[in-house]
Order: sequence, then C-alpha cells, then structure tokens
Amino acid sequence: MDREEIIARLKPIVSTYVEDKDQLENLNEATDFIKDLRINSANLVDIVLDVEEEFGIVIDNLSMEKMLNVGASIDIIETKLVQQ
Amino acid sequence: MIGNDIVDLMQAAKDSNWQRNGFLDKLFTPEEQFLISSDIQPPTMVWLLWSMKESAYKINSRETKLRLFAPVKLVCKNLIIHNNKATGNVLCDGLLYYTQSQISEDYIHTLAADQEDELDRASVKIMDYHKEYRISNPQSVSHHGRYLALAYL
Repeated sequence: MDREEIIARLKPIVSTYVEDKDQLENLNEATDFIKDLRINSANLVDIVLDVEEEFGIVIDNLSMEKMLNVGASIDIIETKLVQQ
Repeated sequence: MIGNDIVDLMQAAKDSNWQRNGFLDKLFTPEEQFLISSDIQPPTMVWLLWSMKESAYKINSRETKLRLFAPVKLVCKNLIIHNNKATGNVLCDGLLYYTQSQISEDYIHTLAADQEDELDRASVKIMDYHKEYRISNPQSVSHHGRYLALAYL
C-alpha cells in the first residue's frame, strides 16, 4: 500500500472528528490534527482506534505518541503493516 | 507554571463514547481504570482524570518542548474528592504536578501547577466562550464546547 492509498483511507476517518469540514480541503502530510484541524484531543484516541480497525493493525502507546499529524500517522501505519 | 483544562460534559457526551472498546486502555492506567469502574458516576471520573492529565500536559509540553500524545504516561495520583472539589497529582516521567479540580453538573475544570503554592496564587475565570479572551493576557487558556476557562498567575 503506498502513501497515497493510505491517505485516501485515512481522510474519511479523520473527517469524522473535524467540525469545520472546509479545513479538510488541503489535507496533506503536514496537516496537524490539533493545530490545523482543531480536533479535540480526546478524539485523537478515536482516530487511533479507527485506524487500528481500518488497517487491521495494533498501535502501541509508543507509536501513538507521535500520531499528531497526517505524515506521522502514515509512517506508523506503513511500519505496522510491514511488521505483520 | 500553571495549566488549565475544562471539559464541557454535554459536549464530551456528544463527542466521545468512553465505553468504546479500547478507549480507556489507551488513555488510562490500570489504577485509573479501577477508579473509573468503581465510581458511582463513571463518566464524571473519566473526564475528571482526563482534565487532570490535560492540564498537567499543558505545563509539561511547555517545559519539555515536546508534543506527544501519551496520555498513559501522565499518571494521576493521590486523588481526593470532597463534595465538588478534587485535589491530586499528575506524575509524568519523574516530573510532579499538583492539581485542583472543580466538578459541576455542566463541566469539570482542573488547574495544574508545577509548584504547589501556585494553585493558591492563581485565579481562574470560567465563562461562556468568546473570541476576545487574549486581551486579558491569561497564562493558560482552555476552550471546550460552551465554555472558556482562563487561568492567571
């Protein structure tokens, strides 16, 4: 799975937790969940749980620490998919 | 240094399903999960512990200059609840923070400090959300749902 494909599957998950949907138009690897998309920090855990379900992976706490933006999330998803 | 966090309980109930499989495991230590499951009002305990972690994180991230989503590393300790007030500590990688919380039907607010006496010296204003809050130069700002909480030192 390439990064484009991962981002396409990640976008609908992330959009669930974004109030102002206009912010999603320019979603790219640098997009920060909290600073750019204004996602509530308690909902970050929902993104992690949704990603686990969508990609069939387990995200440990150490990996979760870095899941604050799109690029870091793709890195973690890629790593976990390879490990399987 | 101080940090503060407010949880609008109506907003939290709308936005988060804390009973979702895996939710508590990713946010809370086994001891914290025990506090939640043994509380007569589990949702209140969920958001009380969460606001303690968030308020302490605001200090910790400024002190360490690290941005991380590591809620289980922020460990709530020594929680004492009396009526609608709570006090406690949050421990993060050897750094200790002191917390003081206010529990109401509508919201939970926590003020955290890295020096205990700052809790007494700080003042907190909780109000309906408005955009012009920066004028008063608060040291910590928290906005959730209907509420804005400003802390000054």
